[in-house]
Amino acid sequence: MRAGVTVTGIGLVSPVGSTAAEVFDAVCAGRSGLARPAEGHPVHGVVDVAAFSPDIDPASVLPGPESRVVDRAVVMALRAAGDALADAGVEVGRDVDPYRVAVIVSGVGGLSTLASQVLARAERGRFGVSPYMLPGTLPNMGAARIAIRHGIRGYTSSIGTACAAGAQSIGEALRILRADEADLVLCGCSEAPLFPTFADAFGNARALAHGWSDPTAASRPFDRRRNGLVLGEGAGVFVLERTAHAVARGARRHADLLGWGANNDAYHPTTPRPDGSGAAHCMRTALRDAGLGPDDVGYLNAHGTSTRAGDAAEVAALRDVFGAAGPPVSSTKGVTGHVLGVSGVIEAAIGVEALRRGLLPPTHNLDDPDPGDDLDHIRKQPREAAVTTVMSNSFGFGGHNVSLLLGPPGA
Amino acid sequence: MTDEIRAFLFAALTEMKYDIEGADDDTVFGPAGLDVDSLGLAELAVRVEDRFGVTFDDDEAEALAMMTVGEFCRTVGARVQPSSAH
Repeated sequence: MRAGVTVTGIGLVSPVGSTAAEVFDAVCAGRSGLARPAEGHPVHGVVDVAAFSPDIDPASVLPGPESRVVDRAVVMALRAAGDALADAGVEVGRDVDPYRVAVIVSGVGGLSTLASQVLARAERGRFGVSPYMLPGTLPNMGAARIAIRHGIRGYTSSIGTACAAGAQSIGEALRILRADEADLVLCGCSEAPLFPTFADAFGNARALAHGWSDPTAASRPFDRRRNGLVLGEGAGVFVLERTAHAVARGARRHADLLGWGANNDAYHPTTPRPDGSGAAHCMRTALRDAGLGPDDVGYLNAHGTSTRAGDAAEVAALRDVFGAAGPPVSSTKGVTGHVLGVSGVIEAAIGVEALRRGLLPPTHNLDDPDPGDDLDHIRKQPREAAVTTVMSNSFGFGGHNVSLLLGPPGA
Repeated sequence: MTDEIRAFLFAALTEMKYDIEGADDDTVFGPAGLDVDSLGLAELAVRVEDRFGVTFDDDEAEALAMMTVGEFCRTVGARVQPSSAH
């Protein structure tokens, strides 16, 4: 019998709340996290709309000198990890052997700090470059700083699979716990993409939503009028534990992680395979890993970023796996925006709340699905339904597909 | 010269978010004093190189960690050519 794995802690930094419950309430109420950039923000005048998370003083999570040249991605990762450990009631060293704790916290790294240091180098030569730039920007530094801050001495890494990275970190954590290589894993992602160069890259790739007079209407997954994604910033960290470990310490369990799948489209760097066959295979892999069938899935949280090609490919994949009578589906990015790799963590947290409350969140702004899209979309209002299995999809540039399966705490 | 270097040093440390309250010529850079870590010393060296036109080789940069503020200022001052202090 394979060891069970359970979720005991969740910490979020998001445009619509810092706990799973807050985010779930916002998504169900259609309380949007999308806004026009404020005057003075680096992306003011660069993008029409984005999903902003609350400011965090770097000095609140790092010693003074180290908080000066550090990227927001690292700061948000530290905040989310601290909140997740507090939510789990865990102190490393007191409640768990530091060598039996792992960290897999991912993201693209501190690119905005790198960008500003490149500009300083161009202006002032080598004297413009701070030696703090490397610990401030390297993509592993979220994970590394979390380890340093909390005295975690087991396996640590970060995964670079773009918008699939958060979900993949949770999946890799499951693998590590099943293999008995750790008792507890902090897993998740942090992304801070709201600076001009990065935003312009998405804009020039024609990936961003544009032309909406109401910014909260800009992200509209699966809606016929969708015209791109809305970039968001944030972080999310789960505490996953071997179920036996969680039970032994009397921990509260939010949900169980039942299985996962990961693969690659092998098609194009940024465009998903149009027939959705990679995503479909990924979902089937997750079901097989959990010992479940398509009929067991009671709610599907789609990747659904609100791009034309991405949403259409996912609809094709869902039809392929679930047939005509598939599960209720929603994408919660209509409210949260697309927080890149963090999306998979936020959406897994939403799945946890859906299981707990027997309530399925709607897709905000889905007024009119594409012709021929006959999925059971949850629209306008949340839907009451006692479900025992939630699937969450995440897909990333590079063709990376990840599916996670969650269920209520079991034996 | 030493006063100018000391003023620059304290301004730089303040900007780097080190606590300089009560620091004087006898204060050390290490844990018993300002508690500036290796990266902090590296940045300080770069700032001094930039401002006073001096250069530190690797061994000297390491030796800074053992110095007091006064020793540091005198070391830099002895290296500075009057014409290069701008």
